Amino acid sequence: MSAPRAERILLLRAGTRVALPLRARSLLWSVLLLMALLVAAAATLSLGKLGIPLAELPAALLEPPRGAAGFTLGTLRGPRLVVALGVGAALGISGALFQTVTRNPLGSPDVIGLGAGAGAGVALTGVAWPGVIPTPVGALLGATLAITVVYLATGRGFSSPTRIIIAGIGVAAMASAVTQYVVTITLRDEAAQLAGYLAGSINASSWGSAGLILLVLAVTWPAAAALTPRLNLMELGDSLAQSLGGRTRSTRTLAIIIAVIAAAGAVTVSGPIAFIALTAPQIARRLVRSPGVSLGLSALIGALIMVLADLIAQQAGWAKGLPVGVITAGVGGIYLGYLLLREWRKGLL
Amino acid sequence: MTHTPQHTAAAGNSPRGRGFARPALILLLSAAALLLICVLSLIAGSKVTDPGQVLTALRGEGDAHLQTVIASRIPRTVLGACVGAALAVAGVLVQGITRNPLGDPGLLGVSIGASAAVVTATAFLGFSGGVGTVWIALIGALLSVSVVYLVGTRGGGGIAPLLLAGAVVSAVLGTYIQAMILTRPEVFDSFRFWVIGSLAGRDLGSLASVAPVLILGGLLALMLASGLNALALGEDVATSLGVRVAWVRGGGILSAALLCAAATAAVGPIAFIGLAVPHIVRSLIGTDHRWQIPAAILLGATLLIAADIAGRVIARPGELMVGIVTAFIGAPFLLLAVRGGRVVRS
Repeated sequence: MSAPRAERILLLRAGTRVALPLRARSLLWSVLLLMALLVAAAATLSLGKLGIPLAELPAALLEPPRGAAGFTLGTLRGPRLVVALGVGAALGISGALFQTVTRNPLGSPDVIGLGAGAGAGVALTGVAWPGVIPTPVGALLGATLAITVVYLATGRGFSSPTRIIIAGIGVAAMASAVTQYVVTITLRDEAAQLAGYLAGSINASSWGSAGLILLVLAVTWPAAAALTPRLNLMELGDSLAQSLGGRTRSTRTLAIIIAVIAAAGAVTVSGPIAFIALTAPQIARRLVRSPGVSLGLSALIGALIMVLADLIAQQAGWAKGLPVGVITAGVGGIYLGYLLLREWRKGLL
Repeated sequence: MTHTPQHTAAAGNSPRGRGFARPALILLLSAAALLLICVLSLIAGSKVTDPGQVLTALRGEGDAHLQTVIASRIPRTVLGACVGAALAVAGVLVQGITRNPLGDPGLLGVSIGASAAVVTATAFLGFSGGVGTVWIALIGALLSVSVVYLVGTRGGGGIAPLLLAGAVVSAVLGTYIQAMILTRPEVFDSFRFWVIGSLAGRDLGSLASVAPVLILGGLLALMLASGLNALALGEDVATSLGVRVAWVRGGGILSAALLCAAATAAVGPIAFIGLAVPHIVRSLIGTDHRWQIPAAILLGATLLIAADIAGRVIARPGELMVGIVTAFIGAPFLLLAVRGGRVVRS
């Protein structure tokens, strides 16, 4: 890690009690990422045979959509785009919180068994006992159960990062075993459908899912932002943070609850999407080149990766029919490769 | 089986300088447990058989149906013992080399390589089961480990690049597998059964195909035990003790790869034995690899056979595949160990 540099900070003041520090670098990147997101979103809506031509896009967005454009916007790609944005942002937030709390760059909802738990929940409620509990509720129950077991297994709440991760591996193994069992006892077509969901798919997104993930974001983003100063204090280490008056234990618990809600929301609407929660916060940190939680940037980067991956899933010929999670897994692999390359360079220098 | 390590320790060069009474006792108990579980494995099934009847059947007398059942339980017990032992030793080696308590042979890309090879063979060559699949899985596993090793050691040292290379190869192959099974339903249909390790319906033929690889890997592991002890003290200390660190590390990874590849090829991927058994072994027998490896052989075999029995008994009259059961037996162990603070002291 390079030494943190002094960063230009702008203070937005409202009266004497409210001051919002704005880091110049984060602000610049946020604007750039927002622009990239706009471009990617426009491409999602306008590319391909069923896309709305770019020139007609503003009109189609402003007027009540009709005809082919209405179908594309209202049914085919509109909800899918919103879900991609929302899921990416939620995973980015969740990953940023997890990595800060576990102080581990590999800390992510996938690592602690959340995705696997949700997958098992879906396998049981959607395939093994269909119709008893709605599938999204099954995903949520599975994710919650997984995280509860991890919590209980760590013994002292979420205070030991390494314990969280090891317990997560155990819980993930059990959850995957449940899922695999369901995959083997069901018929081929059901199992294949389940496998598609487990890879993380947003192909059949509805406005209902879009609304759900936006609701989750509306709850978790402000809550996480409010917690950020306390989390930044924890970056100093537990004992120093405590001596400075930081309530590390409650901060950690709160952060994990928010992170779980965000990740569970994402997994409920899209299935477990690989690697976004892991990579988005790391990229955000690298962009702002400063320690601390970069919540907004993580969310933006997560959303951008997700929209781009979905764009590939929709438009690239070789990716036809693949769920978006397979693409993000591939992107994640490339990112890990980049990490490896960096290690080499370090070794060679 | 219990004699070799006693012999070594009796030579008097134990690094801890303590006696060997406790480790020897634990090995003895483990061997007894293995024996007991093997007997149980012959008795217990979808129908529990009276031990007397089993003896009669083993002598080739009595009920013909029972004879067939017992005859089918023998190979799966033998196979379970070999596979469990191989995976556990591979786990000890990987955790010893990476000095990471989370080390698992899977980190080296073994099972994902085997899986990718099986998927490819099923999709393009129309393979489905049989000894041919064993060879293909073996080749895939070894290829994938070689790539991980070559890529991971080019940076010139350290274990982090190796693990990263493993993660990259796993990510890439995992994506490939997913893409294949999601676009080709017929591949998915046979793969979904292979990908969960199972001892059911395998004959000793698949074990025979991989036996040379297993034996080679096992011998290599035993030879490396004292080198691993030195490595546990840190690279610099090991070097100053005259241990060739690169050889121990490379040999250990090769051995782990051979063992794990052979096991995966024979019965399909089985998670968790390689991760959990080394923890159990360490907590029972301490840090000396010359004790750890024999203990891992005995306990790994015991655990896998126990899991197989559980799978037969729980889901009567059907069966749970052993790969599913290992997760359910191994994971709570790990969780309890975490809770008791035996895995991490923080």
